[in-house]
Amino acid sequence: MARNAELVGLAALATLGAVAAACRSTTTRPSARSNNARAVDSASALLAFSALADSSVEHYRGSFHNKTMYAPLAVSALTLAASLRDLFRPRGHDLGGSVVENLALTTGIIGTGFHIYNVAKRPGGVSWLNLLYAAPLGAPAALSLAGLLRKVTRGLREGRQIGGVRPSKLLAGLVSAGLIGTSAEAGLLHFRGAYHNPAMVIPITVPPIAAALLAYAILTPKQPHPVTRWSLRLLAGVGLLGSGFHAYGISRNMGGWRNWSQNLLNGPPLPAPPAFTALAMAGLVAVRLIERSDA
Amino acid sequence: MSDRYPGYDVLNKRRTPSWNEQTRRVIDRRLAMPRDPHFFEAAEWLTLEAVCARIMPQPRTRPPVPLAAMIDVKLHERQGDGYRDHRLPEMGEAWRRGLRALEAEARQRYGVAFPALSTDEQDGLLRAAQDGALKHAAWQEMECSLFFAKRLLPDITAAYYGHPTAWSEIGFGGPASPRGYVRMGFDRSDPWEATEVKPGREAEATRSNARVG
Repeated sequence: MARNAELVGLAALATLGAVAAACRSTTTRPSARSNNARAVDSASALLAFSALADSSVEHYRGSFHNKTMYAPLAVSALTLAASLRDLFRPRGHDLGGSVVENLALTTGIIGTGFHIYNVAKRPGGVSWLNLLYAAPLGAPAALSLAGLLRKVTRGLREGRQIGGVRPSKLLAGLVSAGLIGTSAEAGLLHFRGAYHNPAMVIPITVPPIAAALLAYAILTPKQPHPVTRWSLRLLAGVGLLGSGFHAYGISRNMGGWRNWSQNLLNGPPLPAPPAFTALAMAGLVAVRLIERSDA
Repeated sequence: MSDRYPGYDVLNKRRTPSWNEQTRRVIDRRLAMPRDPHFFEAAEWLTLEAVCARIMPQPRTRPPVPLAAMIDVKLHERQGDGYRDHRLPEMGEAWRRGLRALEAEARQRYGVAFPALSTDEQDGLLRAAQDGALKHAAWQEMECSLFFAKRLLPDITAAYYGHPTAWSEIGFGGPASPRGYVRMGFDRSDPWEATEVKPGREAEATRSNARVG
């Protein structure tokens, strides 16, 4: 068991390094505007993928009891496809891009409503028990975030302000708020898991710090923010590290990976942690822009 | 196999992630239970078999759950429940005395052994035991209604529902080890659980139960 933990740790460090290096290299490329937009495209694609995988697994677990439970699967798949398309063919014809964004945004909001209803309708209503075991309140917001990231990307690509605000500041604010929400969600569910592994405190410590630093950067533009950058690089690694830890958690459940049909549903959610990576990627773009303050 | 869970056989889980080596070992042991008595003497054994057949009648369309053998093994290996009614003697002694007393009652009332009685006569004696109406000296200080309610009934039904044949009948998945349950809500079930038949959808349940693993 200790050996397993070491292997997971080593693999995690390796991914951390790889992600940090990858995040760093993007800073020196030419045609900054398009590169920044593409980085945010990757972020929204990853966030949409995380939402797609997570809602697929969790709603399958819920037996798609309510037919609307298929909606986030369809919409996150659409958002993923749109973001990938923008990533690889940024100059292609805009296929109703704002429709996908608004659909993702709305689905996330309606989804949150459904999840609140699911918690409230259970015996005991809004209680700790139901907050921990009923539909997770924060999860649908990931889809809204993916939609909002796409909106900002368009502002970045076209080099125009959105609602009178620079897209860089909007992006930083969005990532900062998203990190706080995602961290709260992880905090709630890791509390349910009784923080039985010390690493479970990482998603409630690193993201709020990065979020605070990012918010500070909004207020202090046109100057370097190396600590913020590094905190976001660290956070990008934390997201992938989290999936590694969750894979390890699944292996520790009765029957391990051989019993995947139960443990994938019962164990820690494999696709959830990369949401942090996605937000960190978008946050890095925001910091870069704020430092130069040219968008 | 049962009408309610058509096509479901819990033993099909044997080579699936539902069971592991430990589960298979436990269930193999239960299936390979010896069919001859090690605790009871011949006459007691025949009475026990007759009593089990009245308490838990079984269809002739499948091999029966070996109830008498399961109780015999329990007593022979002294697998206690961990509790008993303090007014009854220790479980082995209670069973021996109870079966001998039923036999004595049969001989006193009908002049033949308990297993030789008609099923109606056997039921009559068992009902009298349940009502506390049997007073033969063979019972000694043991209350026959207490023996019936706290020893005879629980041991026979527990033996029955401890057998894979009964699990298939009631759609039970056997030991939840290593694979347990995920969908805990009312009227929800996991894909590896038996499917209960719904009126007019028998074929669907049979198909689904053929895939259960």
